[in-house]
Amino acid sequence: MNFFEKITGSDMNKAIKEFETRVKALPPEYQSAWKEIINHLWIHSDFTGRNLMPIFENVLELLEVASADGQGVEDVLGDNLEGFSTAFVGDERAKTYRDQWREQLNKNVAKKVGGSK
Amino acid sequence: MNIKKIIEGKREWRAHVVRVKSLPKDYQIVYKEIQIYLFKVGPIELCEGNGLLSDILDFFEEGVLAGKDVLEITGTDVASFCDELLKDSKTYADLYQESMKKRHT
Amino acid sequence: MEHNTEMLKGVLEGCVLEIISRGKTYGYEITQQLRELGFTDVVEGTVYTITMRLEKKDLVNIEKKRSNVGPPRKFYTLNEAGQKQLDEFWVKWNFISSKMAELKSKDIKR
Repeated sequence: MNFFEKITGSDMNKAIKEFETRVKALPPEYQSAWKEIINHLWIHSDFTGRNLMPIFENVLELLEVASADGQGVEDVLGDNLEGFSTAFVGDERAKTYRDQWREQLNKNVAKKVGGSK
Repeated sequence: MNIKKIIEGKREWRAHVVRVKSLPKDYQIVYKEIQIYLFKVGPIELCEGNGLLSDILDFFEEGVLAGKDVLEITGTDVASFCDELLKDSKTYADLYQESMKKRHT
Repeated sequence: MEHNTEMLKGVLEGCVLEIISRGKTYGYEITQQLRELGFTDVVEGTVYTITMRLEKKDLVNIEKKRSNVGPPRKFYTLNEAGQKQLDEFWVKWNFISSKMAELKSKDIKR
C-alpha cells in the first residue's frame, strides 16, 4: 500500500488526484525524486496525512519549477533526499540544510553569473 | 482548491514565466536560483498568488531599466538578500511543527 | 564608508523611515539617497528588503504607478504608525549615541 492510499478523507482524494496528474507531467528523474521524498515524509504524517498537504504542495511546486528550468535533479535537491525531506518539515536538522542551501545558492550564482562576458 | 483558481493560477504563472524569460541572462540566472531557494525554505507567502516572486520580478525589472548589473542590486551575497526577505515569514515547516506541538499537548 | 554592514543593519530601517517621511519616494531613490550620504555599501536589494518589511508591518502607504517603459513603481509615504515608529527610532538612537559619546569621554573608575 502506498502512502496516498493511507490518506483518508474525500476532500483529500481530490487533492491527491491532482497531485498525481501533476507528477506524471514531470521528467522521469523528478518523478522518482518525488516518490522518494514522499516516502521519507510520510513517517511525519498524522493519522490522515492532512498536516502534510501544504508541504507536498510546496515540494511539488519546487520540482515543477526546477524541472521547467531544465536543472538536473541533483543540482537542485542535493544527493541526500532523506535529509532534504526532513528539512522540509523543519526538524532539528533543518537549520543545517538551510545553511547548505544558502551556500549552494551563492556558489551557483558566483559560478554562473557573468559567464558570458 | 477549486478548478477556476487552478486555471487562473496557471495563466498567471505562465505570464510570470514569460516576464522572467525577457530578463537579461544574468538576471534570469539569479532569479532562478532565488526561486529555487525560496521554494526549498517554503515561506507561506510564496503560494499566496505569485506574491513574493512577482514582487522580486518587479524589483529586477526596475534594475534592468536602471541599467544595473543584477549583483549590483542584490549584492554578491544573494542568500543574505533572500534571508532578509524571509525574515518574519512563517514557513510551511513552521506550520507543520506547530501542528505537531498541538497534537502532543 | 565600507564594510560596516553589520553595524548598519539595526539602524537602516530608521534611515529608510526618515527618508520616506520627507516626502513620497521609491526604492531606487531611497538607495541613491543613502549612498550619497556615504553609506556606499547599501545596494538596492538592501533597501528593497526593508521596504518589504515596512509594507508587511503596515507602516507605509503604497501607491502603485504604472509606467510605459517598465514595471509598476511603488511609491511610499509614511502613515501614522510609521511616523510613530520613526519617532521611537530617534528616541532610541539619541539614547545610544549620547551614551556612546559619554563613554568615549568618561573616565572609567576601577
